[in-house]
Amino acid sequence: MTPPLDLSRRQFMTAASVAAAAALLAGCAPGTNPASNAQTLQFWHLLSGGDGVTMSSLLDQVNAAQDAYKIRPTVLAWGTPYYTKLAMAGAGGRAPDVAIMHATRVNGWAPGGLLDDWDLDRLAELGVDESTFPTPIWEKGFVGDRLFSVALDAHPFVLMFNTDVCDAAGVLDSKGALKETSSPEEFLDQLRTVGGATEGHALSYGYLGDGAQMWRLFYGLYAQHGLAMELPVGGKAVIDKDAAVESLLFMQSLLDGEIAAAQNDYGSAIAEFATGKSGMLMTGVWELRTMQNAGIPFDATMIPTLYGTPAVYADSHSFVLPHQANANPVNRDLTYRFVADMLKGSFGWAEAGHIPAFLPVTSSPEYAELVPQAHYAEAADHVVYDPTAWFTGSGSNFQGEFGAAVQGVLLSGDDPAAAIDRFESRVNTLLAQPNPADPEGTWKP
Amino acid sequence: MTTTASATRAIVAAGASDFRPRRAGFQRREQLISWAFLAPFLVAFILFLAWPIAHGIFLSFTNQSLTGAGGAFVGFANYAEALTDPVMWQSMWNTVWFTLLSTVPLVAIALVMAALVDRGLPGQWLWRLSFFMPYLLASTVISQIWVWIFNPQIGAANNILTFFGLEPIAWLQNPDTNMLSIVIATVWWTVGFNFLLYLAAMQNIPSQQYEAASLDGAGAWRQFWSITLPQLGPATVLILLLQILASLKLFDQAYQMLGGVASDTTRSIVQYIYEAGFVSYRFGYSAAISYIFFALIVIVGVAQALVTRRRKEL
Repeated sequence: MTPPLDLSRRQFMTAASVAAAAALLAGCAPGTNPASNAQTLQFWHLLSGGDGVTMSSLLDQVNAAQDAYKIRPTVLAWGTPYYTKLAMAGAGGRAPDVAIMHATRVNGWAPGGLLDDWDLDRLAELGVDESTFPTPIWEKGFVGDRLFSVALDAHPFVLMFNTDVCDAAGVLDSKGALKETSSPEEFLDQLRTVGGATEGHALSYGYLGDGAQMWRLFYGLYAQHGLAMELPVGGKAVIDKDAAVESLLFMQSLLDGEIAAAQNDYGSAIAEFATGKSGMLMTGVWELRTMQNAGIPFDATMIPTLYGTPAVYADSHSFVLPHQANANPVNRDLTYRFVADMLKGSFGWAEAGHIPAFLPVTSSPEYAELVPQAHYAEAADHVVYDPTAWFTGSGSNFQGEFGAAVQGVLLSGDDPAAAIDRFESRVNTLLAQPNPADPEGTWKP
Repeated sequence: MTTTASATRAIVAAGASDFRPRRAGFQRREQLISWAFLAPFLVAFILFLAWPIAHGIFLSFTNQSLTGAGGAFVGFANYAEALTDPVMWQSMWNTVWFTLLSTVPLVAIALVMAALVDRGLPGQWLWRLSFFMPYLLASTVISQIWVWIFNPQIGAANNILTFFGLEPIAWLQNPDTNMLSIVIATVWWTVGFNFLLYLAAMQNIPSQQYEAASLDGAGAWRQFWSITLPQLGPATVLILLLQILASLKLFDQAYQMLGGVASDTTRSIVQYIYEAGFVSYRFGYSAAISYIFFALIVIVGVAQALVTRRRKEL
């Protein structure tokens, strides 16, 4: 018996391991595309699900429209996993060319040198400047007087309503829009009327175990008092107790088991509205597509202004330039082009529910006809972001801390004032800690 | 055969005539070979265990951040902050509380299950399989299963409660019940391992002892108390030790079942270490907390060693 290959066992093992190592190393080689000489740009983002599908088609669109660059996207799990990996890639000097961050997270990152700022002149050459964004959204991109993030969108917390149910309840005006309410009492009355026309609750609002959901509604209501929380580094949080307690009491009165279920988590609330069992839903705009797929008759609007000042809680998906150890000027230049192309092509992004930040898109006639998106587009002028501090923002612990402090108020009728005190003392503990990205506090914007 | 024997004799004789240098060379060679065999493990041990432990101690004295910033020596500042941090103590207590709540049922229920299977239930293999099966599932899977069971609106747990005319509970969201919910899920998940250890120990008890006891007129209960339980002593000590160490590691099922939400009543010390390092980016602080936790584990380990030594002396 002669083996087909006349090798000794050792020779065979050596040859096999060399082959395996070669295959392994080949996997490390950067991907090259011999067919085109387009420069590959690495782009990281955290958008999956419906948002991810829309983002992919936008990227295909910008890739196809030119041949100077080709975007190679990397999608990572939303929230902490994404931010941890992006920070570590930056710390290792091997960050992507461009990435998406929540605008509210930029403040914790810029001081560590993890991000480079945008060149305003270069952006202006490409038709991107202050005049092409709603003021609060453009301003949110700045840390000090340098621009660190360029918003793709604003994604506010809004009110969706079932048009059949609300029509039957008689709370729609002649144009089919929800009748305006301007005080907590009026809105509660309207909700009670709607409750009479549904088989389930008037309103769906899921909050259990979800600090972000509690914070989104609360901070919108708080800001409607014409106030903003201030969180000065090294100081004490400035929170208006009366406004905070009033907002929490209002949330309590929604969750009385009649207007809205007293115990509802995020998924159950979405399911309740999507199956037509409730009249209204308080939710982020990113659930728009879920409702369209559910096939229910619905429209959307800003959460009514109940305390005088129009204000809508929102965050923005924004483009940032992660700091690279050896930034390639060619890639950097193409990155500016890519971002401008994305902003100009962001009409498709509106289909996912988000309000495009680029004004030429939202002021176009096509957008005016895009319903229900156009019905809450006004929210872009009244967006309110998380208070500025290194520890706040989407996917941070701050919103979780808020939830831990106030859930008892909503779930079991605990004292709102005590809950706000607890939240405040926790925030003060965080304020006493230095920004870990800049522990010595030496960074100046 | 004879040739081999004479050859061996010749080698022995040659060795004897020139004993010392050859023997030393042989030993050196043997030592080298044994080190070569040990090397793969040693490299892994130093790279992934010894070095990280040493580096972690070093980190705990710095303000190193995940973002690459910091790294300056700060002495015992991290430890001082951790020891006065109410969230650290709350998390430490949550871990200890979970260990107390989970260890008792995990040992007691395993014992009962093993006794039932060992003594009488027909179809032993089926029971053995079904009691052990959940243990084979990944923590992500059991978390998903129990999130649905505990769902406040459509979960099975509340269905059962309302069937008996009780009020539904927000199991995982209510701070009064969320730790209990995690304990219930954990017991269901891991009791099979302890069950298996107990069953093996029971099947090792010689049947003559039971035969002798029944000849002397001892009933089933008497036999259980006077033969089975005392014979299970060493197994119980082992199970307790393994269980306490496993419970102290509480993180994944609690983190997953609560969707990563920080709740004051369920945040374990391991979760706080993770949050400090990977959410707040404070590696130095995170390392300091993990060494404080390490101290707790050492105390448990030493207590355990003292108890077992006393048992041996008795």
